[in-house]
Amino acid sequence: MIQKSYLSLILFLCLCSQAIAQQKFTVSGTIRDAATGETLIGATVKIQNATQSFGTSCNAYGFYSLSGNSGDYEMIVSYTGYETYTKKISLNAPLKLNIELGSGKGDLNEVVITSKNRKNENVRSPQMGLDKLDMKSLDNLPVLFGEKDVLKTIQLLPGVKAGGEGNTGFFVRGGAADQNLILLDEAVVYNSSHLLGFFSTFNGDAIKDVSLYKGGMPAQYGGRLSSVLDVKMQDGNNKEFAAEGGIGLIASRIKVEGPIVKDKGSFMLSARRTYIDLLLKASPDSSLNGNTLNFYDINAKLNYKFNDKNTIYASGYFGQDNIGIKDLFANDWGNTTATIRLNHVFNDKLFSNTSFIYNKYHYAVELLDADNNARVTSMIRDYNLKEDLQYYSNKHVIRFGVQAIHHRIAPSDITTSGNSSFNPLAVENRYGLELAGYVSDEWALTDKFNILYGVRLSSFSLLGPGAFNTYNSAGEISSTVNRGKGDFVKTYIYPEPRFSASYSLTDETSIKASYNRNTQNIHILTNANTGSPTDQYVMSSNNIKPELADQVAMGYFRNSKDNSLQFSGEVYYKWMQNQIDYRDGAELIANATVESELLYGTGRAYGLELYAKKTKGKLTGWISYTLSKTERKIDGINNGNYYNARQDRTHDLAVVGIYNLNPRWTFSANYIYSTGNAVTYPAGKYSVGGLTTYYYTERNANRMPYTGRLDLSATLKAKETKIYQSSWSFGVYNALNRKNPYSIQFRDKKNDPTQTEAVQTSLFGIIPSVTYNFKF
Amino acid sequence: MLTYKFLSKYISYTVLSLLILITFASCEKVIDVKLDTSANQIVIEGNITDRLGVQTVTINESVPYTNSNTYPAITGAQVTVTDDNNRSWTFTETKPGTYTVNSMRAETGRTYTLRVVSKNVTYTAKSTLQRLVRLNSLSTKIISFGGDDLKIVEVHFKDPADQVNQYRWIMKVNGVQIKAVFADNDRLTNGNDVNNPLFFDDDTNEELKTGDAVEVEMQCIDKDVFTYWYTLSQQTQNGPGGGVTPGNPPSNIDNNALGYFSVHTTQRRTLKVQ
Repeated sequence: MIQKSYLSLILFLCLCSQAIAQQKFTVSGTIRDAATGETLIGATVKIQNATQSFGTSCNAYGFYSLSGNSGDYEMIVSYTGYETYTKKISLNAPLKLNIELGSGKGDLNEVVITSKNRKNENVRSPQMGLDKLDMKSLDNLPVLFGEKDVLKTIQLLPGVKAGGEGNTGFFVRGGAADQNLILLDEAVVYNSSHLLGFFSTFNGDAIKDVSLYKGGMPAQYGGRLSSVLDVKMQDGNNKEFAAEGGIGLIASRIKVEGPIVKDKGSFMLSARRTYIDLLLKASPDSSLNGNTLNFYDINAKLNYKFNDKNTIYASGYFGQDNIGIKDLFANDWGNTTATIRLNHVFNDKLFSNTSFIYNKYHYAVELLDADNNARVTSMIRDYNLKEDLQYYSNKHVIRFGVQAIHHRIAPSDITTSGNSSFNPLAVENRYGLELAGYVSDEWALTDKFNILYGVRLSSFSLLGPGAFNTYNSAGEISSTVNRGKGDFVKTYIYPEPRFSASYSLTDETSIKASYNRNTQNIHILTNANTGSPTDQYVMSSNNIKPELADQVAMGYFRNSKDNSLQFSGEVYYKWMQNQIDYRDGAELIANATVESELLYGTGRAYGLELYAKKTKGKLTGWISYTLSKTERKIDGINNGNYYNARQDRTHDLAVVGIYNLNPRWTFSANYIYSTGNAVTYPAGKYSVGGLTTYYYTERNANRMPYTGRLDLSATLKAKETKIYQSSWSFGVYNALNRKNPYSIQFRDKKNDPTQTEAVQTSLFGIIPSVTYNFKF
Repeated sequence: MLTYKFLSKYISYTVLSLLILITFASCEKVIDVKLDTSANQIVIEGNITDRLGVQTVTINESVPYTNSNTYPAITGAQVTVTDDNNRSWTFTETKPGTYTVNSMRAETGRTYTLRVVSKNVTYTAKSTLQRLVRLNSLSTKIISFGGDDLKIVEVHFKDPADQVNQYRWIMKVNGVQIKAVFADNDRLTNGNDVNNPLFFDDDTNEELKTGDAVEVEMQCIDKDVFTYWYTLSQQTQNGPGGGVTPGNPPSNIDNNALGYFSVHTTQRRTLKVQ
């Protein structure tokens, strides 16, 4: 019912806007970088004259469409880090204008205007809870081992908490690590970490745009509760061949790109590999040089523009980690994604994108000991079809589409050989089908009042074949049904309303509010703090209900000093249902009845996020502060009372500063402070079975010591020649050498077993790094 | 599963230790923590074996974390055990907090009920004696790990295919009990000749050396007792922040008593470490 009334409302609004449109014409086209031909996502376009003005921003493919009453206008196109383009246009017929922006040095553009561009987009737009990462500033930030990393940088934003020291896992607004939808060119990346989380799967060289939605999710996204991290790969330079790369302490990387047909098509190929194990191989110690420890990944993309109306993109990612100890065990894991997209411009107002997506995550663990040999493999695979349409009318941008995803999970296969202690085992595959349709409308009601509203109708079906158990509250099998191939075992349907609005108090200040509902049908079972290579994936089922979250948020946004200072404050409250935890002694791996090990409950999270950013001048950077609370309430845990979620931290502060001393030297520093994780400390002790055992009262009621860390970095650009540029990056991680807590263990003193002690483990002290980057 | 747990732990250790080679990082230090202190809790440990002899139930109290590891006995409790054949044994307090009965043995398949009355509160628990699975032998295994040769004791037994089995092992080296919980079931090894390595960490234990005298006791335990020990074993390998959130393991004794009541088989074997 709800979705039906939404649809008719939107249809009605469309018709209205059509009916009153008279003598209006549309200007449309694509905005690109003049040097590389890369489309500029989110570039703003405005047409204005003495009496009226109209504005919009480019979509994910650089396409824009803007309608205005017939007449003469000044057209202004702007994008951060680029020179602003202006042109006089006469809008007396539909206009097609493809525009290229120079990145500051070129003189391709007529006039440079800085004061009249469509600024304050962050203030005007109804979208809230959105953070965009500037890929250029990423180069200058200090990071562990000198490896720039998208996932570590977003942890410096308000509302985003680090999964752990040096870890790419993250928590958004009280959500768990598996409640983030991580997309690479629309394909789901299930495990976004390399090397147990010290690196992410995203190679900064290959990435063009990163957007993180913490709330107010637009209706085209769905499937996870707490956030969407939308990462887009570069298209590749369609003007000329270029190569760049970097040599670091732990990994090296290279990227090549160039035109296939100049101005029509291009390719991009980027690869990265670690060489820790090459160092090990060089070791004379035979027990070290037989070990394996590496990862590599490859990003590739091709695009070709057939004509102004049709463009095809093909992109893919392949990454693999290998860890092994000679004669003992081997572990490998990795993601594969492939995306084919067709852009079609039906007319100057209707833009379509069709995507075919494949993605897979797999792991294998092999025990090599002859007596106990086993190979355990597991994988999750999706086929995903999406059709997304954007319709640009006078004061509306209407977006609608459909999506279908077919999931297959192969939970665990165990194979053995010879006289192993272990038995072969194949846990039944599980199949699922997610279908969704959505419609949303971004509507400029007045100059001051903008709304973005819509609904996503999502369904999930668990499909046969297989034997499906139903478990009672004690985790015992109460019934079993056998279903055939393609049978619908269980279906859930949820409407997910999405609404956000902004009201501009002045040109530079606004207030915003949003509400959104999200559902989630793919769940990770893990005992680790954040991602681990052997995480188990399960779907919603007859036992596991879809996770559900409702979030309301309000915010105040203010820009000042010609956009160079940006401030925002947001508050949010989130209710979560059907959250998952485990019974005592749960066995999550290679367990055909793993659903019997689960417990269910609710969660709530609320907080305040403050963000102040300086975007211009010699000194740039930001301060972000989060005050928050995250709790869970699960039947069978903590006597059914609310308790602090593991990721609950009261205060999180990040201060980031980048100082451009001169064209050659850039210095940067960041400092983070966060309250210690919520942990359970013993309230007493006793002895059973001859072992000191601890008595616990309330779950996660204690705190680890706080985490504080200062990182420094300096980048020196070598003298540029026409064809070759290079730079050195020097970094110091944890410059104050503070011992931040990783875990705390309670144990008997080794030299005095009548006493116990608390022992804190810290991972990284002060770590210097150096990286050489080049480009030609 | 022990093997698997060992691996998942050591995968992360490997990566860390290899990174440490490069980064001279990671360290441990003893810290002061502020802890809440709760009232002392009753702790009941009841063990009844299939060997005819003295059977023991100990009852004492938990203490605050900062105390030394000595636990006050609870005296004057009434302790009885009955089986499902209406036989009954009354335990007598032979030492403060230690309640025993002479010449009793448990019989395979029978369920025993422990009943403790202390300070006007009654605690009861049930446990069933499982079929004996023979502990065939022990052996020394040497694995090479990160430049060190690590010596490990393996237990060898034939798991019966026609039933679900749970095991617990207690290991002593030169007469000193290893501080680790060893518990496993036959979920992945049903019906096989099983070689189960008994891994333990060297944070609180001495590494095995050639010539050490090792004694291993193997118990066949019931499902509830297994869940108790297995939960404990998952927690002891990681402290807070490092893995499974710790909690009190699910006891088969009611009324919030800590501890367990285990009716099990018992066998011992010894080995000189090679």
